[in-house]
Amino acid sequence: MNGHVKSMHFGQFMEPVTTLLSLLLLMAVDSTRIVAASRNQQCGNSLQQTLKLTRLIQKESVDLIKTYKASQGEMSELLCKVSVPIVPDPKISGMDTSEKIVSIYTHLQAFLPHLKRVYEQQTDLQLPTSPVLDGLTRVSAHSRNLAALINIFYQSLFPNVPIQEPAGGPTALPPPQNVFQQKVYGCVVLKTYKELLANVSKELRTLKNNKCKRI
Amino acid sequence: MESAGQMLMLAALMLTAHAGSQNYLLTFPHPKFVRVGSNFTATCVIINRTEVTADDLYWNLSETILPREHYSKINNSAISVTFTVTSDKPEWLFCLCRNPSPNIVLNQGLYMHGIYLQKGYAVQQPPGNLSCVALQENTYISGTITCEWRDSGPQTEQDPIIYTLHVRDMTSQGNYTTTTKTKAQVSLGTYPNHMNLEIWVEAKNSLGMVESEHLKEEANWFVKTNPPSDISVISEKSFPTSLLLNWTLPIDKSYFRLMYRIRFTTEGANTWTDVPQEDTSQDIQSFRLQNLQPGTKYISQVSCKNARRGHGRWSDWSNNATKWTPEAPPRGKPDLWMTILGSPNANGQNVQIACKDPVHSNGRITMFSLMIKAHRVTNASTQLENTTEMISRSGDITVLKQVPIPDHQSTQVFLTAINSVGQSEKAFLGVPERERPSVEDLRVSSQDGRLLVEWRLPRSSEVSEFVVEWVGRGQMDWQKENKSTTRTHITGPLEPFVCYRVSVYVLRSGWSSKATSVEAFLKEGAPSEAPSVSLLGVPGHDGAHLVWTQIPPERSRGFISTYTIYYRTGDATRAVTVLGNSSSYKLTSLSPDTTYDTWITASTIAGSYKGSTHSFTTQKYAPGEIEGIVVGVSLGFLFFFLMIVLLCFYKKDVIRENFWPRIPDPGESTIKNWSPDYSLKADLPRESCVSGISVLDVDVCDGRSLFDEEKAGLPLKKDKFLSEEHSSGIGGSSCMSSPRQSVSDSDEGGDMADTTASTVQYSSVVASSGYKGQTPAQPTLFSRSESTQPLLDCEENPDTSAQEGSRQSQRCSRPTGNNLSPQGAALREELQPLDFCSLPEDAENNTPAEHQSAASASSYMPQLGGYRPQ
Repeated sequence: MNGHVKSMHFGQFMEPVTTLLSLLLLMAVDSTRIVAASRNQQCGNSLQQTLKLTRLIQKESVDLIKTYKASQGEMSELLCKVSVPIVPDPKISGMDTSEKIVSIYTHLQAFLPHLKRVYEQQTDLQLPTSPVLDGLTRVSAHSRNLAALINIFYQSLFPNVPIQEPAGGPTALPPPQNVFQQKVYGCVVLKTYKELLANVSKELRTLKNNKCKRI
Repeated sequence: MESAGQMLMLAALMLTAHAGSQNYLLTFPHPKFVRVGSNFTATCVIINRTEVTADDLYWNLSETILPREHYSKINNSAISVTFTVTSDKPEWLFCLCRNPSPNIVLNQGLYMHGIYLQKGYAVQQPPGNLSCVALQENTYISGTITCEWRDSGPQTEQDPIIYTLHVRDMTSQGNYTTTTKTKAQVSLGTYPNHMNLEIWVEAKNSLGMVESEHLKEEANWFVKTNPPSDISVISEKSFPTSLLLNWTLPIDKSYFRLMYRIRFTTEGANTWTDVPQEDTSQDIQSFRLQNLQPGTKYISQVSCKNARRGHGRWSDWSNNATKWTPEAPPRGKPDLWMTILGSPNANGQNVQIACKDPVHSNGRITMFSLMIKAHRVTNASTQLENTTEMISRSGDITVLKQVPIPDHQSTQVFLTAINSVGQSEKAFLGVPERERPSVEDLRVSSQDGRLLVEWRLPRSSEVSEFVVEWVGRGQMDWQKENKSTTRTHITGPLEPFVCYRVSVYVLRSGWSSKATSVEAFLKEGAPSEAPSVSLLGVPGHDGAHLVWTQIPPERSRGFISTYTIYYRTGDATRAVTVLGNSSSYKLTSLSPDTTYDTWITASTIAGSYKGSTHSFTTQKYAPGEIEGIVVGVSLGFLFFFLMIVLLCFYKKDVIRENFWPRIPDPGESTIKNWSPDYSLKADLPRESCVSGISVLDVDVCDGRSLFDEEKAGLPLKKDKFLSEEHSSGIGGSSCMSSPRQSVSDSDEGGDMADTTASTVQYSSVVASSGYKGQTPAQPTLFSRSESTQPLLDCEENPDTSAQEGSRQSQRCSRPTGNNLSPQGAALREELQPLDFCSLPEDAENNTPAEHQSAASASSYMPQLGGYRPQ
């Protein structure tokens, strides 16, 4: 009788405990999912914005090259086929995500002075109302924003590792050039920058597919 | 502690004021702005003056002395005041001294100090409802972002609220702009697409600062693009109920994907039909509109926004894209109706066949196929007429044909609508040979800007449907109601102030009944014209019959309830009101021979209108009044004339005595009998006696009654010589008692009537032809009667009248006395004929002396004066 009673008492005690434990377990699992979803969403949002901006700059650079060629007069098609060594390489380097993001950031930062130089040169060659100048302004501004987004994205992924600024001091710019050289230089910069953006877009898509999902 | 601090401040201020101010009073504090609604405390201190104390000080705010109970005496030389700032206008608060000592009065400017209070409101609430938008510019987004917000409460001109609009992106590069309004723009250079923006507004003035909520959104969240461009609509014959819309993206997809909203309507419709959002939320550039009406003109518009949920603003609607859907065969029947034209005549009535397109015409109806079948009951003949009518549209009504419908003939009309693809079902309408009963108790009233038509069902319950027809201002329209309807609103467009004739017909299996009609106005207004009043006939002397033409309902703008007739003379205006169906009125109680201005005003329930003025003058006399007067006067005159005639008849003897006295004829005188010494009778012919003296029997004032002999002798009368000859001896006589100039004395004596109309010369001595040419030396012999027989005896004895006449003539020339001078005798002789006249009046007027003289003269006396030599 007593044992039975004890058993009954134990059973009565165990029932709410089980319920409570189940509830706690459920809350723990749910909170884990919420954290994961939150981090995943943050990764996705940041990377998504970066990717969208990259595509936008890519599209704008394509339009800008067309506008640029149209504004340079004769032989504009040949201008972009010349190689200019001083223009940075558009290839993204690095083995892991961190290095690749840093490489993207470094390349973007490296192109900004070149875009600025092209703008200065075209200011002398074009009318103030030229769409080339508007395009260069927008591409440069968006490129700065893209670099900032890359930096933010990198900080979101690696909060304890500050991103490295480009080594070797300021970006080397070409010496004074004649008009033809300026035209060639501008076209090569834009063309190379477009390639860079294509590479960045490709890398970011890869990152989006791999990194954010894995997290 | 507070009072100690205040004392220290007072001391410091006194020292400062003593060093730099000439005033003997000092006030503090001097805040830049004072908040409206707050309590403000000011202190006034007396500096180095003992003749005034704190009790002499008072505060004046905007020329109003602040009550003493607000004062607080700090010490004998300082006083403070505390009051609530209510007005938001800037004002001066003065500390003044009321001590009347001469020194203070003379230096009043030194005994005052003031505080200029500039008011302000604390910023009460943050700018609310912040909303920002970045518009598309060309193919990209403009770098200028425009924001609006709700104000932060009241402010004053002295301390306005300054709003600062901040826009900052993720790179910490931001910009801002300040304004006093609730709308501002911030230029960012290049719009930071895909970057996060933080936007907020800061409201600040001297009394505080608050911030609005911070909008932290991706930059594209604020974007409003242009509407889709190049909208094209494609119509496909194989799909008559659909149209395909195509458009061009307003902005590249690299900015963001777009979602759309599409709406369409038919031409002339007022409402749009929206395509469900879920069908257009995809990233599309074309859309097929379905379930449309064939052969209908559709207008479509497209709008777009950022497809991301909650992002972006809807663009404006695109331009209209218009297209007809392909046609399909008409569905349903045309709405066929016949309206009666004019009034029925002996042969029947004319009707106008009209119709409306089928509800689903599915295209443009190009023609109608009309078949009229007439069946005459009398001879059982049937006449069939098939026509194809080209349409003649008036709005949505097509007038087809006018046909006569004779009595005792049933007419059936069949109609088919045809468009470019096919034809509709056949509609039927019949007019029976005998009129069938229509609705009863038809009433039409205006309700909520529409006409409400109510009727009662006819006794015969075989009703298929009702037709409500209305005609106004030459336009006719109708609508059909189902058989259970007894009240309906007219759906067609009606105009106010227009008279509509509303008729209701009953259709029984397509056969029409007779009409029941009433007239109605959607809205009545004051008449736009009034009838011109005119007179019927001529006005009377106290009345006039006015007539006018009633205003036809199509111009009266309402039912004429009354006509008011005004008539005015001078300043008095009177009015008479008659019913609206009147067209004449007889004015009475008018004044005769008076000009009246009359006019008429037509009145509806909404107002009245005054007509033109007409003037008329009433007659002076009533009809027959003149005739009465004339008849009365004539009768009076006739009576008077009769009285005169009667009087003359009864008094003819007296009149004869007065006007035609019997004058003895000297020719008949017996003088020749009693003058034996002078045998003239043998020598002188008879006519010589007569020619010597003639009796002139003339009418009063009628010179033409002279004897012919005298007329023949007129030229002689003009001769003075002859005239004097005439007057000699015998003299003349006059019917008048007054002395008259003798004919012989007047140059104009030949025409006696001209000179003295009332003078009658009934006696004249005319020289006989025997005297003419005689020399004066030859004495003219006059026989003088010496008879003493009275003159009247001659009348009593006609046989001896000639002799007595001679005596009488002798008496007229009797001498007045022996003592008379020759001139006086001559004068007396000339006056004698007057005495000779036997007028009773003269006799009565004669004085006794004259009678005596006459009596004395009656004796025969020798003529002293004799005759003047001739």
